[in-house]
Amino acid sequence: MSGEKTSFLTSKQRRKIRNNLTGYAFIIPNLVGYTVFVFIPVIFSFVLSVMSWDGSQRPMEFVGLANFADIFGDKIFRGTLVHTVSYALMTVLPTLVLALLLAVLLNNKIKGVAIFRTAFYFPYIASIVAVGAVWNMLFQPDFGPVNEILKFLGLKNPPRWVVDKDWAMVAVSIVSVWKYMGYYMIVYLAALQGISSSLYEAASIDGANGWQKLLYITVPMLTPTTFFVLIMLTIQCFKVFDLVYVMTGGGPGNATKTLVNYIYEKAFTSWEFGPASAGAIVLFAIVLVITLIQFSGEKKWSKDL
Amino acid sequence: MRKKQLVAALMAGAMVCGTLAACGGGSTPAESQGGGADQTTAAQADQTTAAQSGDSAKEASGEKQVLSVTTWDNDSSPQFQAVIDAYEEKNPNVEIKIIDTSADEYNNSLGISLSAAQPDPDVIWVKDMGSMLQMADKEQLMPIDDFIAKDNFDMSIYKGAAEQLMYNGKAYALPYRNDWYVLYYNKDLFDAAGVEYPSNDMTWEEYYELAAKMTSGEGSSKVYGSHNHTWQALVTNWAVQDGKHTVVEKDYGFMKSWYEEAVALQDGGYIQDYSTLKTANIHYSSVFKNQQCAMMPMGTWFIATMMQSQAEGETDFNWGVATIPHPADTEAGYTVGALTPIAISAFTDQADLAWDFIKFASSEEAAEILADQGVFTGIPSDAAINTIASAELFPEGDSNVEALKYVHYSFDRPLDPQIEEIRTVLNEVHEMIMIHSYSVDEGLAELTERVAEIKGWN
Repeated sequence: MSGEKTSFLTSKQRRKIRNNLTGYAFIIPNLVGYTVFVFIPVIFSFVLSVMSWDGSQRPMEFVGLANFADIFGDKIFRGTLVHTVSYALMTVLPTLVLALLLAVLLNNKIKGVAIFRTAFYFPYIASIVAVGAVWNMLFQPDFGPVNEILKFLGLKNPPRWVVDKDWAMVAVSIVSVWKYMGYYMIVYLAALQGISSSLYEAASIDGANGWQKLLYITVPMLTPTTFFVLIMLTIQCFKVFDLVYVMTGGGPGNATKTLVNYIYEKAFTSWEFGPASAGAIVLFAIVLVITLIQFSGEKKWSKDL
Repeated sequence: MRKKQLVAALMAGAMVCGTLAACGGGSTPAESQGGGADQTTAAQADQTTAAQSGDSAKEASGEKQVLSVTTWDNDSSPQFQAVIDAYEEKNPNVEIKIIDTSADEYNNSLGISLSAAQPDPDVIWVKDMGSMLQMADKEQLMPIDDFIAKDNFDMSIYKGAAEQLMYNGKAYALPYRNDWYVLYYNKDLFDAAGVEYPSNDMTWEEYYELAAKMTSGEGSSKVYGSHNHTWQALVTNWAVQDGKHTVVEKDYGFMKSWYEEAVALQDGGYIQDYSTLKTANIHYSSVFKNQQCAMMPMGTWFIATMMQSQAEGETDFNWGVATIPHPADTEAGYTVGALTPIAISAFTDQADLAWDFIKFASSEEAAEILADQGVFTGIPSDAAINTIASAELFPEGDSNVEALKYVHYSFDRPLDPQIEEIRTVLNEVHEMIMIHSYSVDEGLAELTERVAEIKGWN
């Protein structure tokens, strides 16, 4: 470094400051974007949740917790909580299990493994609007391919999927599993690479078969990853909006209306930003609880390893 | 080492600028369009005076004035562009900037941009009355009473339509378009079947019979007797056609027979299944254009669409227009419709120019231009009907011209500030009934209950 001397700082201190400045310069672009697009809006929605506001230039009015009382008194809102939880229940486990199985299968040195990996990852990067439109046609109740196959297999009255209030959420969940399992497959693949092959060799010498290796080596070794995937999937499920919006628009009736669809409708159809923000705070609380579980879990797993 | 750090810092700095510029690009084209930051600030402080001084300053300097207008689906219909072009031709010093959004997202996107209280857009084409009331409630529309008084503007040319746009005693908009429901039919299909064309005096019962008669074929070549798009309006409109009810009521029992008939039409296979239309996201115009239905109740706006389609060679079959069928206890010519208002944003910095534009857009002159395109305006006149009827691609025959006249006109929805919220409920219940998740009675009971909740009646 330069040999210049100043009377205030030692060269070590100066280097430290310069390094810090460089560091700040690197994070500033993201930080500015984050502040403008995430942090300020989040704070704003906390403020809005205790206000009455219609999005106009008129001043907001403080209403305390009335917005929360309002939404919890709303049958539709309580319904969205049920729908969101049922969506999570139908989506999280199948995605996790399928992602793990795919990862294990595609971790082998089989021919064309790259093609398979790409094929399974592809849905994740496909546009959700296109995915929703195509699946809607596949699920078409009267002559759609899905029901044609079910009829061929001998099912007399196949479900009417997105136009049946009891099956619409199942249809959305199936698409969700299909779309996201590829992404979590990659996460699992990365984790699989980290498992030492000596474990498998030792097991082979002891006479373990493939199934036993999967159950007693792979799955336990992947526990931290599984935990991470579980948390991420659950959070993602509570935040679901786009897929529902494209596939069913919350319908039929409001059978697939989720928490975020409700927030969106309150905000941008009824222009009631108070109750909408209160709904967003409820979502925030749910996600926060899940995240706290993750934090405590993470500590536990990192200690174990 | 030091050089590298410097380069890194510079690059990071450049990225910051990039991010900021990107954010700016999204949210502030309005300001740059408005013409000068000082004017923008002034406009926010005092819209009207700033607007006037802004205008005159520009006129004095001979600078081109820019007026921004919002439209939806501008490519698919000539209804906006024809008027915009005519205005630009008449006022060479004015440039009109179009902010176009898809029809589905129009109200959302407009609502959000108005929340930002920017000087653009200046002029707003309002998609439906419900959103006009919402905007008026939020003080996002400029009342035009002062302009009307100042110009001594004659509202009688609209024959009462302008009064329909009054809200809380204030005028917020001029009637730009007026559309009502008629029955379209495919002449070729009727000729092939040897069935007489739908008449201009037909009850709904006769229409149901005709729909059954005109249904033929199987599978992908099936031709349906009629076509109901997925809108709830295509059932509820007929329930309010006699003018005795509106879609905001304390008891929805009056809709029962209409829903039963709609479900029966669907179950009989005389119209396409709601589920199919919904899941495949089928637009009504493609069904009619592909000759998959013999008849279709639809708004008069579809005339322009069909004429454009014929002109572009997309379709070449013969089609016709008949009066919408009527309930047994009313006479022929009762119809249901809606106005398309044109209004001025409360945040505009060009209030005078905006007023001049909306005055032109809803003038008799513009009405003639629009009539040429097959578009009905807020000025009802025999002349306009004759212009439309004499357009080259309008179906030939007096009955088609007769079909464009009505004796009674009900609005498809009442002037109710909560109508958008109520429409959500109407749509949800409509869907549940049409897919058989609810019986008609269950659906109407839920409708009665939820609307009462919104209105605070219980």
